[in-house]
Amino acid sequence: MTTEGRSGGGPMYTRSAMFLAVLLALPGAAALGQMSRATLVKQSDIIFIGTVTQVGAVAVPEVPASDRTVVVHVDQVLEKPAAVALGAGDSVTVQTAQPGSLKPGSQATFYTTGWIFGQGVAVREVGHEPGRSPVVVADQQAAVARARLEMNDADLKAHIQKAAMVVAGRVEQVRPAELAGGAPAHRTRISEHDAQWQEAIIQVQDGIKGAQAGEQVVVRFPTSLDVAWVGTPRFTVGQEGTFLLHKDSTTGSPETVIAGRSVPAYTALHKSDVLPKQDALRIRVLMRKP
Amino acid sequence: MRTRVIAATVALYAACDGATRQPPPAKVAGVRVVDVIPVSLSGETWQDAEPFLALYASNAQLMAASAFTPNPGGSASGTAPIFVSSDGGDTWTLRNTLPSEGMTADITHAVGATPPVLYSGILKVPGVPLNELKAGDFLSPATMTLQASRADVDQPFVRTAQAASADRVYVGLNDFDAPDGRTATVDVSLDGGATYKSRRIETRATVGQNGPSIRPAVAQDRTVYVAYFGWRATAGSTVTSDIAVVRDDSGAGGATPFRDLLDPSDHLPGRLVATRVTIPWSNAPTLGQERIGSTLAIAVNPLHSDTVYLAWADRVGTGDIYTVHLRRSGDRGATWTGDLRTVTNATNASLAVSANGTVGFLYQQVTGSDSSSRWVTRLEQSRDGFTTHQDAVLATVPTNAPPLQFLPYIGDYNGLLTRGDRFLGVFSASNAPDSTNFPQGVVYHRRVDFATHRLLDGSGATVAVSIDPFFFSVPVLP
Repeated sequence: MTTEGRSGGGPMYTRSAMFLAVLLALPGAAALGQMSRATLVKQSDIIFIGTVTQVGAVAVPEVPASDRTVVVHVDQVLEKPAAVALGAGDSVTVQTAQPGSLKPGSQATFYTTGWIFGQGVAVREVGHEPGRSPVVVADQQAAVARARLEMNDADLKAHIQKAAMVVAGRVEQVRPAELAGGAPAHRTRISEHDAQWQEAIIQVQDGIKGAQAGEQVVVRFPTSLDVAWVGTPRFTVGQEGTFLLHKDSTTGSPETVIAGRSVPAYTALHKSDVLPKQDALRIRVLMRKP
Repeated sequence: MRTRVIAATVALYAACDGATRQPPPAKVAGVRVVDVIPVSLSGETWQDAEPFLALYASNAQLMAASAFTPNPGGSASGTAPIFVSSDGGDTWTLRNTLPSEGMTADITHAVGATPPVLYSGILKVPGVPLNELKAGDFLSPATMTLQASRADVDQPFVRTAQAASADRVYVGLNDFDAPDGRTATVDVSLDGGATYKSRRIETRATVGQNGPSIRPAVAQDRTVYVAYFGWRATAGSTVTSDIAVVRDDSGAGGATPFRDLLDPSDHLPGRLVATRVTIPWSNAPTLGQERIGSTLAIAVNPLHSDTVYLAWADRVGTGDIYTVHLRRSGDRGATWTGDLRTVTNATNASLAVSANGTVGFLYQQVTGSDSSSRWVTRLEQSRDGFTTHQDAVLATVPTNAPPLQFLPYIGDYNGLLTRGDRFLGVFSASNAPDSTNFPQGVVYHRRVDFATHRLLDGSGATVAVSIDPFFFSVPVLP
């Protein structure tokens, strides 16, 4: 079992890496309905292969039974958050996307989001891939993993397109942020949610988008330990990376000063905004893709 | 599913309070302590700090709780969770029904009338705007409905009262957009949350704002008290503050509410219970990995609104880090006792008054020093103004483990309420499965192995110790 970060996801996300061979349905392209597998994966937190055991029923007392609920025996978990205790042999209550879409004995790969967590797990169906036997779980595991990678790349590409600047570089200096007097974050205000803004001056070594090597750019970042800023990237002197920078629309003070010049200030508040330096090549490849 | 009930074994416990060795905490009959995390989330390792509790008056089995618990699936769904119990707190389920990306940055809530309507005030992620929310039935899995929203607000604190025609909702909050730096505000809804009016309660000059804690308390006769910090001066990270209480005798439904309690010194609304106290404002680990600066609580006798209790924390200056004070008024806030209780190096005071007049006083205190120091969570209750009181130690855990993930470490507040013959509440603490940490006993639904002091995930692998919310139920003194 491996644990890894998930773009746009929660604090921890586990992807099952077990490759047990069992018989189950092979997804056919037509069975995906109107959603691609990649889209199903993108919208899902919990993906598993299972067999419907009951319709109009529930496996957990917290959920009322309805014509949209089915009980599914889990044959194999393909993806789930690390926090969730779910494994082969468990029964999951699924709120289906469409009443009557699943019959007892149906085998499928279920793409779902977590709904209710108690003595058991109840999920909401995003979609499912019905199929026909036989196939090995490893095939579906690999297909879902490929789809996840595709979606991560698509998300990153969209993120690149939204960024005003993408650079590979090194943090040369960190200093307190000088915010304009009218900026909301600069008002005399004491709050536990105060961001405690600082500025990192990045020496651009590779201008991938909107910048050139040799430039210096200023990135504002919160230093607060407060829950409102948990997971937000921080910067330290000497740090190298590939940075997706956005014009500062958060502090209310869009400009800063460097070497006596007024320049735009940027932010990098999403965890995907700060990537390893070697990801510069991946980003260039993604930018070239149609 | 696996439930482990640990019998209290108090013989190994010895608390140190400063240099004074205390006797082992007593076992109090009828106390329940339950880790809120359900078995299906046995792998969770998040810092589930700042818990809160809401009770449904018409059905003792129904209650809702919250903490800084994330949606286990991450932020993609755009929802954050609350916990719900339908069996009086014995078991809890997590439901993703809050419209916030993965988690909230503040959350409190209270239940209205039948059906169990839930009102919640959250700081929404991202951007932390205030969202005032409503669920028609908090057992429903539907996402809560947004009723009002605005930016530049801190610490929404929700209380409700049942009126004949519609629920009344009181959301204490610190509104940075309030004029003249008088930021202490109560958003009042007299129509079940359909509309809110922001009522400014500070009438004196401030340092530019009030403290973040604005705490309402409502009695059955519609008397509403609100406690707040009147910040008067700052010097570095130290704030000089008054501790003030306003009152409204008719549910804050009038044109100029919260003006029924004047201070004799200046005849302005807002009785000054203590003046020019020193508030150490520290947004960094200061007390057992916790930040300090906003501890404030108030509770009114629900049946006899003349009696009201108030607790706050400040720095006395006798070598303390943060000291909680508890006082009482028996004449609608006009006069106040001196300290009924003074608790050194404590925070997260919460108060509730039962129908028989017994006051419950929940707090979390750092005892001992350095690496041996402990967070001790206590519920004290008294019927005689703390001439005597019963003391129930609910948890005693190391202060240095687990390491903090963010602030607050265990919360800027916790929750205490009362219903019938029970005090019911929630606190956050280390979930290390060690029976000596829970002198009253404890129930875990998440997988644990007490013999080896290990948390386990669904596959039986060891899970790191983290901060969990704990529900408790303590019998009210007869």
